Amino acid sequence: MDQLLSGQLLFAALVTGSFYAIVALGLNLIYGTLRLLNVAHGDLVMIGAYTAFWLLSLVGLPPVFALPVAAGLCGAFGWLVYRGLLRKLLSNPQLAQRVEANSLILFYGLSVILQNAAALAFTASARGYRYLDEVHHLGAVAMTGNRLLLLGVAVGLCLAFWLFLRFHLFGWGLRAIIERREAARVVGVNVDRVQAITVCAGFAIAGLAGVLVSMTEQITPFMGFPFTITAFVVIILGGLGNVTAGIAAGLILGFVETYGMALTSASFRSVLIYGLFVGALLLRPQGLFGKAVRGA
Amino acid sequence: MGWFDAALFALLAVLGVAVPLSGDGYLLGLAFNLALWIALTQSWSILSATTGYVSLGHVVFYGLGSYVLVLTVGSLPVPLAIVLAGVAAAVFALVVGLPVLRVRGPYFVILTFGLAELVKHLVVQIEAALGQYSRLLFGMPDLPYLYWWMFGLAVAATAAAVAVRRSRFGRGLLAIRENEEAAETVGVPVNRLKLLAFAASAAVPGAVGALAQMRTGYFEPGQAFDPVVSFSIVTMAVVGGSDQARGPILGAAAFLLLSELLWSSLPQLYMIILGVLLIVFVLFIPQGLAGLLTPPGRRR
Repeated sequence: MDQLLSGQLLFAALVTGSFYAIVALGLNLIYGTLRLLNVAHGDLVMIGAYTAFWLLSLVGLPPVFALPVAAGLCGAFGWLVYRGLLRKLLSNPQLAQRVEANSLILFYGLSVILQNAAALAFTASARGYRYLDEVHHLGAVAMTGNRLLLLGVAVGLCLAFWLFLRFHLFGWGLRAIIERREAARVVGVNVDRVQAITVCAGFAIAGLAGVLVSMTEQITPFMGFPFTITAFVVIILGGLGNVTAGIAAGLILGFVETYGMALTSASFRSVLIYGLFVGALLLRPQGLFGKAVRGA
Repeated sequence: MGWFDAALFALLAVLGVAVPLSGDGYLLGLAFNLALWIALTQSWSILSATTGYVSLGHVVFYGLGSYVLVLTVGSLPVPLAIVLAGVAAAVFALVVGLPVLRVRGPYFVILTFGLAELVKHLVVQIEAALGQYSRLLFGMPDLPYLYWWMFGLAVAATAAAVAVRRSRFGRGLLAIRENEEAAETVGVPVNRLKLLAFAASAAVPGAVGALAQMRTGYFEPGQAFDPVVSFSIVTMAVVGGSDQARGPILGAAAFLLLSELLWSSLPQLYMIILGVLLIVFVLFIPQGLAGLLTPPGRRR
């Protein structure tokens, strides 16, 4: 019981939850605006992680400075993917008719390419580095610098996005497209531009998350898929396309996972996550916080 | 069914019978795999191609079939165990179908995936509680015996896929894909049809899982419920084109050919080529191989 009430567990849950929140944030933006199932999302996290690793080991650049580089790299890749592939998928009515299956296969293809290109280029062996792993004490809670950094960046990012969606004109346009795409076009939102920027932003956030996670976990070409799954679980819990609820759902999943594992055992992690996910979807198909979603 | 399909099916049936008679072990293994993927993809198309409810968790039926076989091996005669595996998968589909099929579009895609992963991890827990982490099966039937079963399943799944598409049942399913509310309004019993299609698309994969299990002789939940199987099914259906019954056959054959050519020598390159092909097919050949092979005059 003492263990359950300890700040240590709370800190762990917050770190995990906020990380899930930002991984899911990028995915949710892309689903919300384009209705595409990006199963390659976790592979961008992988690219961000490798960016940090190589910048540190080749140039000696500290991973904090890899954050903007990875974001830029993944964002640029997002732009290419949008211009080269997604616009074609969305503009062809025959393809748009079965957009779930088609986008799933398109991104699965992309995911397979990224994973195996990374395996070819960097070999499949796991890599890692030590960075900011000194322990800080706050009261009875011990925390490493890299986890504090992760928490700080994640919270800052979520907050910034929330403010942006609420108060910036572009954020309004984005929300308008998420809620009613055709109506947004009618009132003068430049749908193509907002979509392009959203894909860049979604990919860039995934890259950022990759840099952050590479400080605490091992890097492999195939590390991305579990992040994809977790991100999907989070955004379904929050309601697809509902960006702020998705952030809350990320935190909830972090808490359920951390406390659930403390109560049972680490081997139950997957059963907990998928159980919560399947149960929630069967009981509340619109997501935990969802209003009924049209066209879902 | 046009002459092309009739010729294709007849050719495959003749080849399917001729391969085991040739006595070539390598060819027989290849034919076993081809029949396996045809059976899985045709079954998947009974639900997903007709209704538009894209299942990304079909491995759950395959895995359950494997598990049923593992649990009954030794205590049941082999043919009975295979049938039981198929029945168990269909019953599972009926039980979970009602709540699962309430969920639509992308939610259904992810839910079926999540359900398969949940069952996988539950089986892992059950096996751990039983003190088993992986199991070896001994004294399994030889490849020719398993092949005849698998061949039969591929034929049965193809026949079912053709029959469903031409039946009143299949037209009801198509109506669900086009507009579920409208179909319900004009009196199509959408829930019953969806549930039946779900169970029908689960039965053969269950039996396929049992056969594949006997072929490998090694059971490990992570392998029996490998999500790559689900992804491969959808992939073959998309590349082959799932609107027509010949599509899954062409898709499965194309992938098997590619993997035979490249997988053993250049696995990563094979996967990269696979990824590029997927993207090319989705964007440029949405009708799949089946659509490419339709004579130009009859293309819709």
